[in-house]
Amino acid sequence: MPEKRLLFKNIDVPGIDGIEVYEQHGGYQSLRKAVLDMTPDAVLQEVMTSNLRGRGGAGFPTGRKWSFLPKDGRTRYLVCNGDESEPGTCKDQEIIYRIPHLLIEGVLASAYAIGAEDAFIYLRGEFKTGYAILERAIAEARAKGYVGDNVLGSGKKIEITLYLGAGAYICGEETALLESLEGKRGNPRLKPPFPATAGLYSMPTVVNNVETLSAVVPIIEMGGAEYAKLGTERSAGTKLFSVSGNVKRPGNYEVELGKVTLRELLYDIAGGPPEGHEFKAIIPGGSSVPFLTPDKFDTPLDYESLQAAGTMLGSGGVIVLDDRACIAGSTLRLMEFYRHESCGKCTPCREGTMWLNQILQRIESGGGRPGDLETLEDLCSNIDGQTFCPLGDAAIGALRSGLKLFHDEFEAHITKGGCPMGEVVR
Amino acid sequence: MNAENLAKANDLLHRFPKKSSALIPLLHLVEDEFGYIPEAEVQVVADLMGVTPAYVEGVLTFYTLFHRQPTGKYLIQVCRGLSCQLNGADELSRFLYEELGVQRNGTTPDGLFTVEEVECIALCKNAPAVQINLDFYPNVTKEQLRSFLDKAAKEVRSGA
Repeated sequence: MPEKRLLFKNIDVPGIDGIEVYEQHGGYQSLRKAVLDMTPDAVLQEVMTSNLRGRGGAGFPTGRKWSFLPKDGRTRYLVCNGDESEPGTCKDQEIIYRIPHLLIEGVLASAYAIGAEDAFIYLRGEFKTGYAILERAIAEARAKGYVGDNVLGSGKKIEITLYLGAGAYICGEETALLESLEGKRGNPRLKPPFPATAGLYSMPTVVNNVETLSAVVPIIEMGGAEYAKLGTERSAGTKLFSVSGNVKRPGNYEVELGKVTLRELLYDIAGGPPEGHEFKAIIPGGSSVPFLTPDKFDTPLDYESLQAAGTMLGSGGVIVLDDRACIAGSTLRLMEFYRHESCGKCTPCREGTMWLNQILQRIESGGGRPGDLETLEDLCSNIDGQTFCPLGDAAIGALRSGLKLFHDEFEAHITKGGCPMGEVVR
Repeated sequence: MNAENLAKANDLLHRFPKKSSALIPLLHLVEDEFGYIPEAEVQVVADLMGVTPAYVEGVLTFYTLFHRQPTGKYLIQVCRGLSCQLNGADELSRFLYEELGVQRNGTTPDGLFTVEEVECIALCKNAPAVQINLDFYPNVTKEQLRSFLDKAAKEVRSGA
């Protein structure tokens, strides 16, 4: 089963980043349909029916998230999470840079559905060029009457404001993002209250990922029921997978959920391992999820199947490691990342990632001691479920599974006094 | 801040439903103008925002794209995300350190280049990736980096 393109349908059309070409290919028809022919509730209902789940990593049903907004007349906000920072994930980047109008149309239609007059697109600080691309696209959309005080003459106001972060993985967590958007340090908030009741500026807020909001466009176009027919019952629609690492054709690929196995994605679509090498392990859902070994490659790509296989679909960032890669070294690299990105607010994450990092460092560089692997496991269990936000759990996903699946390899580092793979990954 | 940026700053103070949201955009203006956030500018931003310099400091030190020390004219950031590392990112950083005679986060004495290793920049499918002054360089090779360094140095020498 090859790719199934809904979001990426027109991505290769020359000039699709401009509004004229985007419109020639059916662009902004979903927004017209929503604003001119449907009530906001009807749009929400279509998204409910579509069974769309959040594409940022958590997979929470989008329609349900929207329905949590209290009907109390307070100002509501829509915030698009474009802080894409999960290692191995580069799908939102491609939407923003190549099909900006798809995102803008999705944001506008979604803002209409939830009754938000102000929508924000929060981009990670590194997407400075993406910011300029979206800025131009919003200006084009404004000139056509899609953005502003009177969207398509409907009397509805929808404004989009861009916001550039400044380098902090944690701001991909929705409450940390809201803090950052309010001009503060990106420390996550205690939940509840959830953003639906007290979000941006303490007002009811929906935070959705770039890919999630983009998917609203085909959902309105084809209808929620048609969209729900794609994929499986609980994993509906299509999903973008970023394939990277040791693979012949790295790239972003859109496939129908549950209809393609990992093997098909890795071999048929992404071209298999580099010449002369074999796959050793993958991390299928961004760096925060457990490893999977090739004996599980017949697992279909959907939320439930990957969970049953012991990992998670997450963001769809598939990092591929071949037989040259050192698992201890790779988990060290990931732990350095989490230690660096821990916001420092809560102890298990701040101290835990620091200790894990130190021990992994000495194991990889030859100073590993007997008992280190048990200490690693012990530290992991002291982080597991003990932190304010999901970053703590994210930090231990790959390490814990690595210790289980590649125990001998970790052990060999300690008994042989260093990395048996030589210096491939530090 | 220069006059142009002060005008932009005043616009930013009114762009968001709440003024507090202007802080990070203001810091971006300063970082873009100076290549870092000078002490004196912390005070300027604090005054514009109506908060204490300590508060501004607290926020800016949370974010890695804001620098407290001057950076080179060209800020070269090598992505060390796992996908880039599996594709030779370490070799690229080593090459830059040797070529420029600097250490990690170091700046060349002529103030031209700063080299940093940074966390994942969301170009995983184009590993190894580098960004220079936040412009993306996908699938970058040592040869490409060498010609970039040569060209940049030449431009500066000729006063361009």
